[in-house]
Amino acid sequence: MGPLGSVSGDRYNNFVFVPADLAEEVDLPLELKKEILYLYGRLDELDHWQLLGLRWNAPPEAARAAYLEKVKIFHPDRHAGRRLGSYLGRIEKIFRALTEARDVLTQDTQRAAYARKTAPPEEFARMEARRLDDEVRSQERRDRLARANPLVARAARVRDLVSRGKQSMADGKLTQAANDFLTALGLDPRHPEARALAEQAKKRSAGERARELYDRALAAEAMGSRAAALTAFREAAETDQANPRYAAAASRMTLEAGELEDARALAEQAVRAGPRDARAFEALGAVLQAQGLSREARRAIERALDLDPSLESARGLLKKLRWSFLG
Amino acid sequence: MSDLELEPVIGIDLGTTNSVVATVLDGVPRVIQNRSGQLLTPSIVAVAKNGRRLVGQIAKRQAVTNPDNTVFAAKRLIGRRWGSREVEDARKILPYDLVAGPEGNDVRIRMGDRVWPVPEISGLILSELKTDAEAFFGRQVTRAVVTVPAYFNDGQRQATKDAGRIAGLDVTRIINEPTSAALAYGFGKSVEKKVVVFDLGGGTFDVSILDIGKSVYDVVGVGGDTYLGGEDFDRRVMDWLTFSFAKEKGGVDLRRDKMALQRLKDASEKAKCDLSGAAVAGIHLPFLIGGGEGRPALHLEKQIQREKLEELTKDLVDRCIQVVDRTLRDVGVRPSQIDDVILVGGMTRMPSVQKAVRDFFGREPSRGVHPEEVVALGAAIQAHALTHRQGSTEVLLLDVTPQNLGILVVGGYFQTIIPRNTTVPTSQMHVFTTSQDNQTSVRIAVLQGASDKAIENELLGEFVLAGIRPTLRGEVGIEVNFDISADGIVSVSARDMVTGQCQSITVTATSGLTEDELKRIMDENVDELLARKQIVSDFERRREATERIIGEIEALMPVVTAALARSRFGKDAVNKAQAMVQRAQAAIRAQDGDQLVTLGEQLDRTLQLFKGLSGGAPEERGP
Repeated sequence: MGPLGSVSGDRYNNFVFVPADLAEEVDLPLELKKEILYLYGRLDELDHWQLLGLRWNAPPEAARAAYLEKVKIFHPDRHAGRRLGSYLGRIEKIFRALTEARDVLTQDTQRAAYARKTAPPEEFARMEARRLDDEVRSQERRDRLARANPLVARAARVRDLVSRGKQSMADGKLTQAANDFLTALGLDPRHPEARALAEQAKKRSAGERARELYDRALAAEAMGSRAAALTAFREAAETDQANPRYAAAASRMTLEAGELEDARALAEQAVRAGPRDARAFEALGAVLQAQGLSREARRAIERALDLDPSLESARGLLKKLRWSFLG
Repeated sequence: MSDLELEPVIGIDLGTTNSVVATVLDGVPRVIQNRSGQLLTPSIVAVAKNGRRLVGQIAKRQAVTNPDNTVFAAKRLIGRRWGSREVEDARKILPYDLVAGPEGNDVRIRMGDRVWPVPEISGLILSELKTDAEAFFGRQVTRAVVTVPAYFNDGQRQATKDAGRIAGLDVTRIINEPTSAALAYGFGKSVEKKVVVFDLGGGTFDVSILDIGKSVYDVVGVGGDTYLGGEDFDRRVMDWLTFSFAKEKGGVDLRRDKMALQRLKDASEKAKCDLSGAAVAGIHLPFLIGGGEGRPALHLEKQIQREKLEELTKDLVDRCIQVVDRTLRDVGVRPSQIDDVILVGGMTRMPSVQKAVRDFFGREPSRGVHPEEVVALGAAIQAHALTHRQGSTEVLLLDVTPQNLGILVVGGYFQTIIPRNTTVPTSQMHVFTTSQDNQTSVRIAVLQGASDKAIENELLGEFVLAGIRPTLRGEVGIEVNFDISADGIVSVSARDMVTGQCQSITVTATSGLTEDELKRIMDENVDELLARKQIVSDFERRREATERIIGEIEALMPVVTAALARSRFGKDAVNKAQAMVQRAQAAIRAQDGDQLVTLGEQLDRTLQLFKGLSGGAPEERGP
């Protein structure tokens, strides 16, 4: 290796030397004059590695070693006693650039940032791929850790259950959601989010189920299968006790089946749930009438008609009651 | 070109207590003896009562009789600001007078019948060494490399360069003392090591970390304290002696007598040095101070144990180690990564210093080099490398800047522009903008130091960028280039980014010498310098030295005779002294220079003894 390192023949191929510069009378060999002019002319284009004569991303030790070799040529002190003319300024500038290159490339964080900034396109792609790879790998590492450590594992399981529950809730699979939240709560009883979500899911899923049962009951009734309708109505009333319509319907069917006590309980449930629900009072009136409590029955029916005067069935009932009173 | 055809170049270690000059001869670095045959020249300057300027050993010898006009440790004051902590401390302990310079910002020294800028005092020492070198080579010497502590700031470096100019020297380069020591350490060997230089000198402490590889000396980090050195150790011994003297002699305060204090200082230094080799040192100062009101003079008789010295100076040693630790941390190097520790400076002979270094690094420090000469040898190597074509001495120094360089910003804070431990030469661009509409000037204060607060750092200078185009705030960009040369000297230049208009700014004013003043001093010195250039041969060198000693002795002679005449002192001592006087007179007649060098010191010692007897300073008569 010559004093300038590995200088390939075509190094100066696209570089134009100013003849006056080359002709200047100084105590420097032509080879060195060319190298100085070349480096000085391209200082702005060369990256730190290129300036030190290294490949991109060469390690810090290589940068340090290259720097020490280069400064033996480009430190102004090495040319003491020589006529340097305009070359002195160029040498000084090159020396400062070399020092800056060394400073950046031997300092870990600065070097990494600089490497990203100066990466050639294919290197950049490879680096990005490696970075993504790293992310996947780190996720895997986290998972592996989760499996290994019971505490971490439980926390991870709770996290999974909660996020799956939320997804189910959003999809309308409320029962499934409620189940997940309740399981999560079982694993971590103090998980506040799981607790709230479980409560919410439970409520929403009960309403959903009751509506399903009610629809099924109505269908069964329309198709004449009274027994099925009765079971479904009563189940709906049981599942969602807050809706008076389910209890009222269940009461009506139960009364038809002749179970007066149950019918009365359901009617009362309906009235409790819907104090301003006409059908609830109508159902109560029907039960009371069947039980022979005419006065109470009439009061209930009248209330039902107060709330909803268009209730034909109630009006008929009232007529019947008057009849019995007279008779 | 061979060495013979080139003008010789020298390296000078301008120390606080001693200075050394060296050169490279036939590829070998060597110390140049001064004209009295010594390797070390005391960094002491005096003006004798007859008005003659004295430098070196001769100035040191008369210090006791002439404390007001004898200046030592000028290095502690060079490039310092009047009113700084260091100068205030120095005023309390130095026997000579300090005054403010005409601009009120630099320190001047009263010596003889005039006031001297500090660089001129240092210039006298450099001039003396230059003359020694010229006597050695038998020809003119004009170029030199001068060393400074690594931790010296820009102002101190500038002032040292000025001192060189005053001495008629072209200071090719200012280099750092520890780096210089490393250069001498690695010279001629092929070492590839990480080394620490621990340089505890007379007045300053420096530590440098270097990577030495393939003849490149790459400094990685420096640290130090420019106000910690052997003088502080001496002072501890002095204070201890003063205090115990006062206790034993019923409250007699030695500090009120400058002459006594000077003798005490010398004795303390000597005892400290003795204790590096012995477990006990005796301090004998007869007739140290007058008893007052006709009572006999008081003597000081004291012994000091090595343990006592170590106890008195423990905190100073600890401070050194703290600086070392901080410097290593700063560059992220662990003590175990260091391959060798080089001890430099006379203070590193002290066993407790060596032990502290050994304990910290966990290894035996290197003692292969002579701690007092190594810095000058390194300077000579660098001087040679800077003036001779590559090949004969293949060395390259990559040194760093010791302190952060920056500017004052809003709120009194300090913004670093070039951080410490940056390889020099270096430069950094900084863009300033205006902060108000139609602002036409920007004031910039340049500082150097380690603190975030501007006020705690050294102000190098202030400058105003004027003539800015009046426009909206923030619209003008002024590029300011901060440059630190290989000497560690700062320069600043500014350029309006739009108009391209340039301004060059001189930053430093700390040296206190204007260019005019510098020229005047140099003119004044021309006569003396011309006289010295006559000295060419070995014979003439000796004759000049002899004549100087004869003059000195002749001036002393009547005083000694007078002192002897009214002496009540022991018969033996009187006879001895008389014999010495006669021998000296015979030597004068025989022009025996060597004999006179020996006798001169003996006579001086005798004089000090007699002075105590006579109870006052002798009157010196003109020649």
